[in-house]
Amino acid sequence: MDALKTLKTEKVGINFGGLKAVEKLDFEIGDETVGLIGPNGSGKTTFLNIISGIYKPSEGRVIFKGEELNSFTPDAIRKKGISRTFQTNRLCMNLSVIDNLLLGLYCEQKTSWWQAIFNRSLAMQEINRGIDKCFGAISVFNPEIVDRAYELISTIPLIDRRRIEIARAIVGRPKLLLLDEPTAGLNKEETHQMIEDITKIRDSGDRISIIIIEHDMSVISKISDRVVCLNAGQKIAEGSFEEVSQNENVCMAYLGG
Amino acid sequence: MAARLNDKITAALVALGICLLVYISLMSSLLVILIIVALLVVLLTYCEKTGLIDTVFQLMGKNTTLTSVIFGLFIISLPFLVKGNNDLLHIMIIAGIMGIVALGLNFQIGGIGQINFAPAVFYGVGAYTTAYLSVRLGVSPWLGTIAGVCLATLTGVIIGLPALKARGYYLALVTIALQTIFTLMIINIPAVGGPNGIPGIPYYQIFGYSLHSRVEVFGLTLPYQVNYLYLVYIVFALAIVAASRLFKSRYGIAWNAVDQDPVVAATQGINLTSIQLLSFCLGAAFAGMAGALYAHYTGFISNENFDFSQSLILICMVILGGSDNVPGVITGALLLTMIDQKLADYANYRLLMYGLVLIIILLVRSKGLLPKRIRIYGERDTGMSNGDAKLAAGAGGKR
Ligand SMILES: Nc1ncnc2c1ncn2[C@@H]1O[C@H](COP(=O)(O)OP(=O)(O)O)[C@@H](O)[C@H]1O
Ligand SMILES: [Mg+2]
Repeated sequence: MDALKTLKTEKVGINFGGLKAVEKLDFEIGDETVGLIGPNGSGKTTFLNIISGIYKPSEGRVIFKGEELNSFTPDAIRKKGISRTFQTNRLCMNLSVIDNLLLGLYCEQKTSWWQAIFNRSLAMQEINRGIDKCFGAISVFNPEIVDRAYELISTIPLIDRRRIEIARAIVGRPKLLLLDEPTAGLNKEETHQMIEDITKIRDSGDRISIIIIEHDMSVISKISDRVVCLNAGQKIAEGSFEEVSQNENVCMAYLGG
Repeated sequence: MAARLNDKITAALVALGICLLVYISLMSSLLVILIIVALLVVLLTYCEKTGLIDTVFQLMGKNTTLTSVIFGLFIISLPFLVKGNNDLLHIMIIAGIMGIVALGLNFQIGGIGQINFAPAVFYGVGAYTTAYLSVRLGVSPWLGTIAGVCLATLTGVIIGLPALKARGYYLALVTIALQTIFTLMIINIPAVGGPNGIPGIPYYQIFGYSLHSRVEVFGLTLPYQVNYLYLVYIVFALAIVAASRLFKSRYGIAWNAVDQDPVVAATQGINLTSIQLLSFCLGAAFAGMAGALYAHYTGFISNENFDFSQSLILICMVILGGSDNVPGVITGALLLTMIDQKLADYANYRLLMYGLVLIIILLVRSKGLLPKRIRIYGERDTGMSNGDAKLAAGAGGKR
C-alpha cells in the first residue's frame, strides 16, 4: 500500500550553516489535502523547497510515487508532476497574465524550437490549445481575469495574482500541489474566496494531492483532511485538525514560541 | 468589411511611410538623419502617450502579408531608387548583415536578459571559417558558409555551457575575455592572415553566375552590390521571421521567465542550462551566418571587423532599438549602421559623435526606440472582441 502514497519523505533534513531548518522529518501524503502548520521560522517553506528541488536535503530521502527525488533538479521534479506556489507571490512581472499562465504548460508542450520556427501552424495550434486550457483554469477562480489576459501582472490586484499563480501551478495537471501561504496578505473577504478556490481544486475530481501551508487556522480547519505541525524543523504533531489543535506541544509552540 | 479594408490601407500607409523614412535617411547627410531621429523620438513618445502605437502595432501584426510585400518591393526597387549608387547599397547591405547579428544577440539581451559582450566573436568565427576554407582549401563559398554557421554555433556551445551556469557579471566577464582572446588569436595566427587579414575571398556563385558581376536591366547598369543586397535581405527576412516566431513561442516566454526569476522558471519545468544555451547558440548561428555573408561580400576580412568595438556597436543596436522587440532591433540596426557609415566622413570625431547620439537617445528613451511589447496571440475569439483586446494591450503597454 505504501507505494500508493503520492509523496513520502524519510528522515529528511537540511542544515544552513549550523542551523537545522528541517530535521529528520518523516512525512507522507496520499490523495488528500494536508495542512502544514507551525510558527514562523519552523521550516515549512524550507520543507516545500526541499520537495520541489530548490534545496537539496543534507540527509534523508524524498520519494515521489516510489521514485527517489533527491538528485533531481527543480525542472525535472516539475516534470514528474509536483508544482508549487510561493509565499510571496512570484509571477513574472515582465510578462502578461496569459504568458504567465502559459508558463505552467511549458513542460507538457511538445513544440521544439525548430518546429516553432519552421512549422508555424503546429506551434500556433499548441499555443491556442494552451491558451484555452489556461483560460479554463483561471475562469474557475475568476472569469474576469480572462478579459485582462493581455495586461501586465503589475496591473492585477493581489488576490487575482494569487489565483493566477495557483492556476499556473495546476494548469499542467500536477499530481502534487504545494501551496505556500496562499492567503498571506489577503483580507477576510478575500481569504474566504481563496478557501473556496482551493476547495474547488480539491474537489475537481483530478485526484490531486495538496500540501498547504497556512497560518490562518480557520482556513486549515476547512480545507485540510489532515494536519502536520512543525516546530524548529521537527514534526511535533500530526492528525486531524481537532487532534492537532488540542495537542499541548502545538499550543506550547504557538504560545511559548 | 469596410473596417478591414481601412485597416489594410492604414497598414500599407504605415509600411510605405517606414520605407520612405529609410529611403530619405539613406539619401541624406548625417545632419538630416539626426533630425529624422529626433522627430522619430518625438513621434514615438507622442504615439505612446496617446496609445496610438498599440493600434499601429496591432494593425501591422494583423496585416503581415501586406506589409512584408511592401517591404519586399521596397528592397527590390531600392537599387533603382538610389540609381545604382554603390555606396548607398553598401550601407544597406551592411545594415542587413548587422541586423542579422543583432537579432541573434537579442535572444540573449532581450530574451534571457544576459549581456553577451562577444557577438562579434561569433560573427568573426563565421567569417573566418568560410574565408579560410574557401581561400586556403578551395571549398565552395556556400559550403564554407554552412561550415561557418556550424562552427559559430559550436563555439556558442563551448563557451555557453560553462559560462551559463552563472549569470550576470560572471557571464559578462567571460564574454569580454572571449572577445579579447579572439582578437588576439586572429592577430597572432599566421594561418588566418594575422594582422593582414584574409584578402581575396571568393564571391558566391549561383550556377556559374558570380554575384560579383554587374547587372544590366532596363538599360541601366547596376553595380554588383545589387546581387548581394537581395541575398542579404533574403537571409535577413528569414532571420526576422525566425526571431518573431521564437519570440511568440513557448521558448520566448521561457526566456523571459528565466530573465525575470530563474527559480520560478525552473519550478515551471524549464531547464535553465538548456534554455539559456539555446538562446546563446541560436544567436551564435545568426551571427555566424552574417559573418559568412560579410566575408563573401567584401572579399576581405581582418581583425578590425570583429573587435570589441564591433561588439559594443551590436549591443547598442539592440538596446537602442529596443530589446526583445524584433521591429525595435531592426530599427536599431538600420539606424546605427547608417549613422556609423555616414560618420565615416568625420573620421576624427566618429566615435565621439556616435557615443553622443547614443547617450542622447537613451536619455530620452531609456527603454529604446521601440520597447518590448506584450505578446498578442493571433486574432482569436478569446471571449473578448478585438476592440477589447486592443484596449487591454494598450493598457498594458503604457506601463
Ligand atoms: N537559504 C537559507 N539560508 C539560511 N537560512 C535559511 C534559508 N532558508 C531558510 N532559512 C532559515 O530556516 C528557518 C526556517 O525558515 P522557513 O522555512 O522559511 O520558515 P517558515 O516555517 O516560516 O516558512 C529560518 O530560521 C530561516 O531563517
Ligand atoms: Mg514560510
